[in-house]
Amino acid sequence: MAPPRPPTGPILFLPLVFLFLFTTAAASAAAPEDEKFTEELLLRPLPDRKALAHFHFRSSAPPAASVGRHHHLFPKAISQLVKKYHISELELSFTQGRWNYEQWGGFDPMSTNNAKPPGVELWAVFDLPLSEIDATWKNLTHTLSGLFCASINFLESSTAFSAPRWGFKLNEGNLRYGALPREAVCTENLTPWLKLLPCRDKAGIASLLYRPSIYKGYYHSQKLKLRSSQSLGIILDQTLTVVLQPNNVHGEQLHSNHGQLQPNWSMRHLFNRKLSGKCLVSKSSRVFIEVDKGIADEVNISGSVHSWSNEFFVLSNSPDKLIKGQNHLEMQSSFLYVYDASNYSEEQPLDLGITWKLPLIWTCTPSPFHASRFLMGSGNERGSIALSFMSTNLHKKISGSANDCSIKAVIFQVVPWYVKVYYHSLEIFIDGSRKTVSEVVDKIHVIPSEDKLLPGTLEMLLRFPCSMQSGTLTLDFDKGFLHIDEYPPDANQGFDIPSALVSFPEFSSARSYPEIDPVLGSPLLENFQEDSVVKSYTEVLLVPLTTPDFSMPYNVITFTCTVLALYFGSLLNALRRRIGEEERELKKRATRHGLISRLLAKLRGQKVDPSESGSSFESTGSKKLLFKVVFVAVAAVLFHYFSNNS
Amino acid sequence: MAFGRRSPGSSRHPPALTIVTALLLASLYFAAAAAALSPTDAMHNNNWAVLVCTSRFWFNYRHMANTLSLYRTVKRLGIPDERIILMLADDMACNPRNSYPAQVFNNENHQLNLYGDNVEVDYRGYEVTVENFLRVLTGRHESAVPRSKRLLSDEGSHILLYMTGHGGDEFLKFQDSEELQSHDLADAVKQMKEKHRFKELLIMVDTCQAATLFSQLQSPGVLAIGSSMKGENSYSHHLDSDVGVSVVDRFTYYTLAFFEKLNMYSNASLNSLFTSYNPSMLLSTAYYRMDLYERPLNEVPVTNFFGSVMKTLHTDSAYTGFLAAHDNETPMSTGDNLDDHFMLKGRAIARRSTIEKEAQLTPHGWTEVLAEQLEGKNTDTVVMYGLGAMGILLALSTWLSM
Amino acid sequence: MAIRYWPMAGAAVGFRLVLVLFGGDLHLASRPEVSTPLTSLRRLAEGYWLKQASVSPYSGSMYHGSPLLLSVLGPLTSSRPDGHHAHIYCSLIFVAVDFLAAMLIRATGHELEMARNRSLKSLDLTKAVKDTVNVSAGDVASLIYLWNPWAIVTCVGSCTSPIENLMVVIMIYGSCSRLAPLAAFGYVMATHLSLYPAILIVPVILLLGYGLDAPPPKVFVIKGSIARKSDVSDNDKTSRQRVVQQFSWKPVLHFIFWLFIWSCHVLLLSSVILKKVGGLHEMFEKTYGFILTVKDLSPNIGVLWYFFAEVFDFFRNFFLMVFNMNIIFMVLPLAIRLKHRPCFLAFVYTAIVAILKSYPSAGDSALYLGLLGLFVNELAEMQFTFFLFFGYIGVSLLSPVMHNLWIWRGTGNANFYFATGLAYTCLQTVLLVESVSSMIKHDRKLRLLVTS
Repeated sequence: MAPPRPPTGPILFLPLVFLFLFTTAAASAAAPEDEKFTEELLLRPLPDRKALAHFHFRSSAPPAASVGRHHHLFPKAISQLVKKYHISELELSFTQGRWNYEQWGGFDPMSTNNAKPPGVELWAVFDLPLSEIDATWKNLTHTLSGLFCASINFLESSTAFSAPRWGFKLNEGNLRYGALPREAVCTENLTPWLKLLPCRDKAGIASLLYRPSIYKGYYHSQKLKLRSSQSLGIILDQTLTVVLQPNNVHGEQLHSNHGQLQPNWSMRHLFNRKLSGKCLVSKSSRVFIEVDKGIADEVNISGSVHSWSNEFFVLSNSPDKLIKGQNHLEMQSSFLYVYDASNYSEEQPLDLGITWKLPLIWTCTPSPFHASRFLMGSGNERGSIALSFMSTNLHKKISGSANDCSIKAVIFQVVPWYVKVYYHSLEIFIDGSRKTVSEVVDKIHVIPSEDKLLPGTLEMLLRFPCSMQSGTLTLDFDKGFLHIDEYPPDANQGFDIPSALVSFPEFSSARSYPEIDPVLGSPLLENFQEDSVVKSYTEVLLVPLTTPDFSMPYNVITFTCTVLALYFGSLLNALRRRIGEEERELKKRATRHGLISRLLAKLRGQKVDPSESGSSFESTGSKKLLFKVVFVAVAAVLFHYFSNNS
Repeated sequence: MAFGRRSPGSSRHPPALTIVTALLLASLYFAAAAAALSPTDAMHNNNWAVLVCTSRFWFNYRHMANTLSLYRTVKRLGIPDERIILMLADDMACNPRNSYPAQVFNNENHQLNLYGDNVEVDYRGYEVTVENFLRVLTGRHESAVPRSKRLLSDEGSHILLYMTGHGGDEFLKFQDSEELQSHDLADAVKQMKEKHRFKELLIMVDTCQAATLFSQLQSPGVLAIGSSMKGENSYSHHLDSDVGVSVVDRFTYYTLAFFEKLNMYSNASLNSLFTSYNPSMLLSTAYYRMDLYERPLNEVPVTNFFGSVMKTLHTDSAYTGFLAAHDNETPMSTGDNLDDHFMLKGRAIARRSTIEKEAQLTPHGWTEVLAEQLEGKNTDTVVMYGLGAMGILLALSTWLSM
Repeated sequence: MAIRYWPMAGAAVGFRLVLVLFGGDLHLASRPEVSTPLTSLRRLAEGYWLKQASVSPYSGSMYHGSPLLLSVLGPLTSSRPDGHHAHIYCSLIFVAVDFLAAMLIRATGHELEMARNRSLKSLDLTKAVKDTVNVSAGDVASLIYLWNPWAIVTCVGSCTSPIENLMVVIMIYGSCSRLAPLAAFGYVMATHLSLYPAILIVPVILLLGYGLDAPPPKVFVIKGSIARKSDVSDNDKTSRQRVVQQFSWKPVLHFIFWLFIWSCHVLLLSSVILKKVGGLHEMFEKTYGFILTVKDLSPNIGVLWYFFAEVFDFFRNFFLMVFNMNIIFMVLPLAIRLKHRPCFLAFVYTAIVAILKSYPSAGDSALYLGLLGLFVNELAEMQFTFFLFFGYIGVSLLSPVMHNLWIWRGTGNANFYFATGLAYTCLQTVLLVESVSSMIKHDRKLRLLVTS
């Protein structure tokens, strides 16, 4: 940057020293000009004898000076994507399993940022005029589907995505949101995701990602978050959150945790791999073990110092650093033991683990209300969606027992068009008694669903009294009937309603690390420090829809057309018929019949009645008949001949 | 397509006066010639593979294992991932019923995880439809479809098309809901031929009555192998009691057994592959259709289709060997329902914008006048007055006309 | 036999009231036989809710009805008394509407009866043609309408069909009694509410122009010539000549004038309602467009829903045209053949609409069955009445069973329910064809009686 120059003279020396200092300072200030890559892993024991592993990779590219920029660390595919589609923010997540908000926590940054609905969720904020956004979104979904080997392109149809205004994230109409609850998540999605990392899964923390052990987990969420702006450049956060069951060496019971030791685990148990050094191009490579507030309190009570080896547990390696975390409610919430992966190598791999000495029971902090969603009703004609809130009495812990307060909750829900929701049927029950909508709902924004065109979007701001123990919202719906081509191959499995998002805007899950050294520069902890609203996703609902008979189209078409032809033909016939003429005809036939009988009588040699006209009529009639018979016979012979020939 | 490149060379000779007509004629001639001669005049310079598993549901595990085995084989023999279009109709690897998550086996000894660490599935789940399959073959995609999902082959391509699933007499079921008929396949192949999308095509089908699927094929340069004759079933090879279902079909199993012995440099011919099928092992008769294929089979190495092994030509001038390669770089992007789609999209946008701007809607001319007059009054009361007036008017007029 | 009219009518209204007030929630509102996407009151409530939220009531594919209904019935749907089902106020209105419709049918019947007696008298056939029923046709028709189980179910089942039916009845009554403003009002409102009554313009103009139903003009001519031959009495001749009426333009022009006035009024009110939300264009697209393009594929008692759920997409537009044209195709032949009986023609058109409309319901059938009662005397010799009667009963019992098996129990199949729809359409066709041909036979019989 600033090569030290040989002093040309003692007078010039001093300014030169200043100049030198200044340029180095400028250089260090301009250091983010470089593309950076950091890798981090956070491990945390969970109360229900499981372990959580959270991988966090951040690649960042400085603001592009020119258009055709060469990247040496940052994935080119992503920067092209950002440039082509003018994305200012994007998040794509692939999730399998459901985050257990009761056991694994609902109030910490992990659950609010990394708990995602099952399947694929994609949202993006575009830096484009409103009229171009839908078309850009369509192209974006196709590109992402090619990039990540998933059917994200199903989100291109206007029935699959929505444009929430404030229920999901405040925006000026330039945000699009879509979810595919049934999308399978597997190796083929992880592989392209890993290919965005400079070391792929060959070195560094990502090498721990042994597929079979990851996909064996209870919960698995792979996320890609992009932020781009003129000042920041592009920041790409890739996170992978897995909840694993540690391989239990002694074959103990898995599901009870009463009076039993938590399972001991180490990296080798969890991932079948050990960590052998860092990815060489990464700026920092760290492993954290986070000990929850629950454990930390126990340890504090017992009076032991927060060393890595105390009376409750022992960590396998001595940490390089200990960080105390706080959330905005309590003074102290958790401990982080920090390990630097660069201290380990192939010869001396890191197999970080925890060994428990005493049985320990703790709980994670829940969100203010536990939200769950379910369907009511039977049959395939109608039903209702119910959203229930169970209080976790968090506010009492926070603000004592103030009963006149209220808690805000925002609901965001997208419903596919074939679930035709009657929004006027919204009913709210609080602690079992029915409330009028205006008592509870502060603000509501509905985009009703349009058949085969738009999904229904519901955004609602509710205000629950703090004293509420349970609240329920119900919405009636009718089930739609689809055209046979619109049913998927496994139509009888039912259709999914994507997860609803419930957020509590008054609660923030941010952590703060007062002792943290700003130079530490850990993106993972930075993310934890960000002020984010407490939110939780509800279950995906499975709605069975009636199916028509898929094998019948021809029958239905012919039957219906026959009936209509019957109507048309018989009515026209009834109108056309002249009864008078028919009767005359009948009479005529009767006379002719008389002639025939007389002729027959003549033939039998009875009394001959001379009636010339009658016989001539007869003869012409028989000629006609003969002609007809001959014609038909000739036609038949010809047809037979030609059909045999060809 | 082809004549644009060839005609300049031919139009050097004719005199200047008739150059326009000659150029036209020459280009026409060469277009026809290119169509007729393309199997011989374009050099084999790339390999593609389209591997399709058409069956959904867990009990069809073996079809996915079949397809992935072939995927692994062609990758091992040198076709890169971007030249393989893999279509899998269901997710077996991460299926909740799979006790080996992220792993797929084609043998009960579980020696080989077919799913590996590096598998790229281009079409999966509900995307595997007859429509998408035909779009891949014929190259008629929507413009937004990424390159990784397209078959960007050209007239120098050797394509391996492998399909497995449940079939019957002249059809192959896709996902238990639609069928690919032998006519559809033949039409698609014909279209590919006419668009110079392949030099040689090997179709390999492992279904019941697979032979019937080829009965309508007419295009030259097509070679077809089916696992069974008409009226025969194709059976699975063995059951894996840990996975709980059959893991591989017999035909594919013995095909793989043949290829396991090979590497990229071996010279085994297609004939040796064909003769390796033993009806008593397959429990069905493998069928080959060779009448559309010109080269003698014992001279064609299997790696011509299953690998990416090409003849090397030593030429004096550089780049001529590549002439044929840069043809179909920009694929046709004319989807059938593209227009519909945009129309739909347009309506959706319009819809959305009306909702967004519902407040600024321009009222109708005469309503505006009325609205100005009744400024400040609630529309509901206006309507009520209107309806009331209607009633009074009705009563009056009826009474008057009585 | 003598039927005491008023007790029966009162009992019918009382029965409806009992069902409305004490029947609890019968869940009729979501029955496919009762409410269609066009007439469902739940959808109307949703539209009203959207309008209150200052969104267009037509946004979303819920409401497809008239904006006028929205402002009349909408406020009633939002208030919900405890202990009763949701739309009790609307149901009470529907009871009144049904009663009014029955009264108008009765009045129409009286008019028709007087006209019939007059023409029979002028043909000297009063004794030859005996009334099969001892009471007046109007009473019969009105009682049929009041006691028809389908009409009752429609009235109680919270859907807007009774109002649509009332408008059609007002139109017929207005034109029978030559009240052009009333006829125009009924016509405009009926067309505004459900589009299909638009084809009733033909009988309305015939009614206004030629007057009420009468035997064919030919009969009068024959009668006149016979009379001239037998006895020459100038007095008689002129009176008979008067029965065969010329087309009078005055009431028709009057009707057209009022048609214009009412159309403007309705459009004006609609646009006032939709001023801030959507507009008239959206209204037409979402009401008439929705009717004509059969967008909703939920099951009903017709056959078109299943047809369009199964038909291949590229044939859809063709069949849409065919089915919509099918209604119009028969308008002209019928009008030519039955122009001397415009009121009967109106019944025939109503029946055709009920058979072929895109979202048929039991309410439409209730209307034409009620009107059928007006012609008990003329149609006395109709064939297949036994078969038809039990056919209707059979279908109306089987259809809910099949629907239940398919939708609720999951043990049946859509084809079973569709089969009842097919059978029902066939039955209606038979009824229609039989009534038309027996009316034609009746006319012929009159002629024979005159000539003999």
